[in-house]
Amino acid sequence: MDAHPLSLYELNALVKRSITSCMPDTYWLQAELSDVRSNYSGHCYLEFVQKEPRGNNLIAKARGTIWNNVYRLLKPYFEEETGQAFVAGIKVLVEVSVEFHELYGYSLTVLNIDPTYTLGDMARRRREILKQLDEEGVLTLNKELELPLLTQRIAVISSATAAGYGDFCNQLEHNPYGFVFYPRLFPAVMQGDRVEETIIAALDTINARRDDWDVVVIIRGGGATSDLSGFDTYDLAANCAQFPLPVITGIGHERDDTVLDSVSHTRVKTPTAAAEFLINHLRSTAETLEDYASSILYAVTTQMEREKTRLTRLVERIPMQTRMRLREERYRQERVIRQMEVNLQSRLMRESHRLELVEKQLGSLLQKKLTEENHRLRFLEQQIKAASPEHLLKRGYSITLKEGKAVTDASCLKGGDKLVTRFAKGEVESIVITDK
Amino acid sequence: MAAKKQTYEQAMKRLEEIVTRIDSNELDIDSLGESLKEAQELIKFCREKLYKADGEIKKILEEEDK
Repeated sequence: MDAHPLSLYELNALVKRSITSCMPDTYWLQAELSDVRSNYSGHCYLEFVQKEPRGNNLIAKARGTIWNNVYRLLKPYFEEETGQAFVAGIKVLVEVSVEFHELYGYSLTVLNIDPTYTLGDMARRRREILKQLDEEGVLTLNKELELPLLTQRIAVISSATAAGYGDFCNQLEHNPYGFVFYPRLFPAVMQGDRVEETIIAALDTINARRDDWDVVVIIRGGGATSDLSGFDTYDLAANCAQFPLPVITGIGHERDDTVLDSVSHTRVKTPTAAAEFLINHLRSTAETLEDYASSILYAVTTQMEREKTRLTRLVERIPMQTRMRLREERYRQERVIRQMEVNLQSRLMRESHRLELVEKQLGSLLQKKLTEENHRLRFLEQQIKAASPEHLLKRGYSITLKEGKAVTDASCLKGGDKLVTRFAKGEVESIVITDK
Repeated sequence: MAAKKQTYEQAMKRLEEIVTRIDSNELDIDSLGESLKEAQELIKFCREKLYKADGEIKKILEEEDK
């Protein structure tokens, strides 16, 4: 055993010295970029990876740094030359120096890049997958699905243990509008080799009862981009593209863009953003509903108002005529009544006068008549008196009776008949001497 | 359940029709009243879908977990 054991720092310093002396040159490195980040200071921190020739398993990985003075020029140069963003997933040819730091360990410092060696293996494979899906006519199938108005029943494919699912549910549950959601978890492995297999299994489970769901959400919390390789496979992309329900992906951050993202109906950055998307969708559904409600209310109110005005106008017009007519009628009636009263009055007066007159006339007539009658009666009385035999006798006339009967014809007498002559006072008997 | 989801879409479609018809003054006052009543029922139905938890859906989805 060595009498003087090294401290970690001493050992690391030894490694550093060895590397510096053994690898003093710069090297052209061919590797895939993964997890490219630049910070506020303008330095770029990234990961170089190498995978198995067939498959997604990593066989080498190294941290890398591009200092801001280099990155500032390198990035626009590279992007301009290649038309490709300097992001994770591309394969690059870079000139590096090998560094070792006692605390931070092994890393490669990028000094230069060869843009002619542009698109990395991952990106090319993605393009190839997408191209294949396009040729098969399925690439945009999921995008063509119409998102139902109600996206409430949500089949979530995620890892039960990941924070992403919790964030998602939390966001949904506390949506500020009070919408109801029914999320259910379909667990799947969200990193490593089993991503494809478990997600496809979950999709199959959902598909078996697809009528129970409105939408599928595939979410995963953030992580190193190298972990996303499982989302870049043909089978998963083909399954997702042809899935009968809209698939929303929120499987990484902005810098991560997978084949699955490319074929999904809607792609958002994070689980929280996926929840936000669904809430906004429901909000727009609710807004449409409220728009309908208010435009119906407005239209109905307007029309009712209009009808009311029309009615009022009619009401105003009709009674005016009616009122005028009624007034006229009333006047006419009054006139008639007055006329009738006047007529009646004058008639009554006339009648009364007539009656009085008649009464008067009747009185005088009666008087006259009575007087006349009286006179007549008196005259008659006198006549009767004058005609009575006593009266005649008194006036000198006499009655000749034969056998008690008045003689009016001398021829009825013959000589020798005995006659009685009655005078006013007394009688005498006589005998007829001669015949005639 | 599919039928219910369908009904929401149908309800919204019907509402849209009603809005269009009212907007274009196609309705007389009598049918206006009827349409308004129908619209109110549809709106109530849709609002309930959005804001009220449906026990039946929950039940069906819980069966899913088993």
